[in-house]
Amino acid sequence: MSMRKQLLTVLTFTKINTRRFFRDRLAIFFTVIFPLIFLFIFGSLFGKNSNVSFKVALINQSKSTFSATFVKEIEDNKLFKVNKNLTSLDQAKEKMNRGEIDATIVLPDSFGTQSETASYPSGQVEVYYSQNNTQAGTSLVSVLDGVLKGVNAQYIQISVPFTVKGEQTNDKGLSSFDYTFSGLLGFSIIGIGIFGPMSVFPELKKQGILRRLHTTTIRVWQYFMSTMASQAIIGLLSFAIQFVVAITVFDLKVVGNYFELGFFLLLSTVMILGIGLSLGGWAKNERQVAPLGNLITFPMIFLSGAFFPRFLMPEWLQKVSSFIPLTPVIDGIRLIATEGKHLTEIGTQLGLVGLWLVVIYVIAFRVFRWE
Amino acid sequence: MKILDVKGLTKTYSGINVVDGISFFVEKGEVFGILGPNGAGKTTTLEMIEALVKIDSGVVLIDGINVAEKPYEIRKIIGVQPQSPSFQDKTKLSELLEMFASAYGEKVNASKFLEDVQLLEKKNAYVETLSGGQKQRFSIATALVHSPKVFFLDEPTTGLDPQARRNLWELIKEIKSRGVTVILTTHYMDEAEMLCDRIAVMDNGKIIALDTPKNLIKQLLKRGFKKEQRVDQANLEDVFIDLTGKELRV
Repeated sequence: MSMRKQLLTVLTFTKINTRRFFRDRLAIFFTVIFPLIFLFIFGSLFGKNSNVSFKVALINQSKSTFSATFVKEIEDNKLFKVNKNLTSLDQAKEKMNRGEIDATIVLPDSFGTQSETASYPSGQVEVYYSQNNTQAGTSLVSVLDGVLKGVNAQYIQISVPFTVKGEQTNDKGLSSFDYTFSGLLGFSIIGIGIFGPMSVFPELKKQGILRRLHTTTIRVWQYFMSTMASQAIIGLLSFAIQFVVAITVFDLKVVGNYFELGFFLLLSTVMILGIGLSLGGWAKNERQVAPLGNLITFPMIFLSGAFFPRFLMPEWLQKVSSFIPLTPVIDGIRLIATEGKHLTEIGTQLGLVGLWLVVIYVIAFRVFRWE
Repeated sequence: MKILDVKGLTKTYSGINVVDGISFFVEKGEVFGILGPNGAGKTTTLEMIEALVKIDSGVVLIDGINVAEKPYEIRKIIGVQPQSPSFQDKTKLSELLEMFASAYGEKVNASKFLEDVQLLEKKNAYVETLSGGQKQRFSIATALVHSPKVFFLDEPTTGLDPQARRNLWELIKEIKSRGVTVILTTHYMDEAEMLCDRIAVMDNGKIIALDTPKNLIKQLLKRGFKKEQRVDQANLEDVFIDLTGKELRV
């Protein structure tokens, strides 16, 4: 058969199967709406208000006017989120142990009172924090120290020989949402590339639809290519919607080139789809494919750095996980979208994606069964 | 002219020959029936001839082409109607025909093919809305998109109502009249008698009789078979058809 006739097969299958997708509400939900739900959940967790703030309980045991002003100042300060329901240290300890608040600030009854000999009020702020939250506790101590230094300066004029000043350097820095968004995209690539074919193919086999197709002159590569094309179209649409929502609602900053990003997403989707085609193409039924699919997919999601940075992993795990298929995908998206890198600068990621593409499709073609 | 030539065809599943060295041929333009109880090996025989199942031993030639050697060439010249046809849902009949034609690298006039099987008005309907008989007819249309020389049907009328069966017989006769060779399996003797030029009766993987329906009946009578003599002017099916009409239902 001529190449043109063979491509007619691919085009016709792509066209009709893409059309069919838009008639399937459940499929639309899982590929378009479902990632958006994730986007909103993660967006509101790590969204705009990503500035550090301390969740604290504030227990004021003093009746002095100074302590009342101090309390108000703390409550107005954006660095603190004061839980006003907590009035005793015992209550607060319980919440600290559960990690619901970071620390407890106690103003003892002598706080802010003025001794007869002194010309200004004095006192000591007590900060309590649990063992598992030492970091927040010590930071809070130094923050309060800074606040009190300011207060002290109002009463005693002192000159300080050495000071330190912190300043932000790069305005392109990753917000935690920018970071998470690449992970979310990776997650929806998995949805489109793996979960989709993994559930569809065994069903087609069960009904004998693939077997019927096998009596025609269609070739496996034609069937794969049409699946690839329609999943890519659907994928790009889903990614585009996620970008629009992330940019308009959650202030995502995309500094890279959209065409390069689109190309990289396309390549990644096709590569990951190969895993779905292998699993779905191999499996005789859904029961056979579900455990294997989960065994491959979930470790891949967690080890790829989709949802938490890989540098938090032990060194050996970082090395191992840098080679799994999803890792270069997530890294590549991050490098292009949020760091403005060009395709020419992410050779490592492109190379790994390309290598996996070859390996995965060799497997996919080998294990494919029509029934 | 022999369009299908089967010699010593064998399939072995876990040590048992489910198809046991059968040989037969089919003339071009014939309607050939394969009969036999469940498990006789009918479907496996068809599937080996259709290049769907590996041939363990024996040779099958369709139009002179060896099935085991050139399965791809075989697929171009055969049409296959599976036992229980099913199609992907949320797809229109016209689209499915377009897909099947494209699988052979061809474009199709969907309306013409749907008209041939009386489904033109269902052109834009989804396949899952069809009744059993309609689905069988539609499946026949999809199997003929590439004008095959040989058409295989596996129990095409199982589960259909009498009207739909009669309708399908007409359709098969019509396909035969176009010069297409038809090979079918069935459990219905009236169907075999009505449609088939010759039939092969299979049991335990072997062909135990092969002739025209008339000759097979003659041979039985020659052996002294006697049926209780009853001269019925009609049977229950005649009553049913008389009451409900020959007209095809949905």
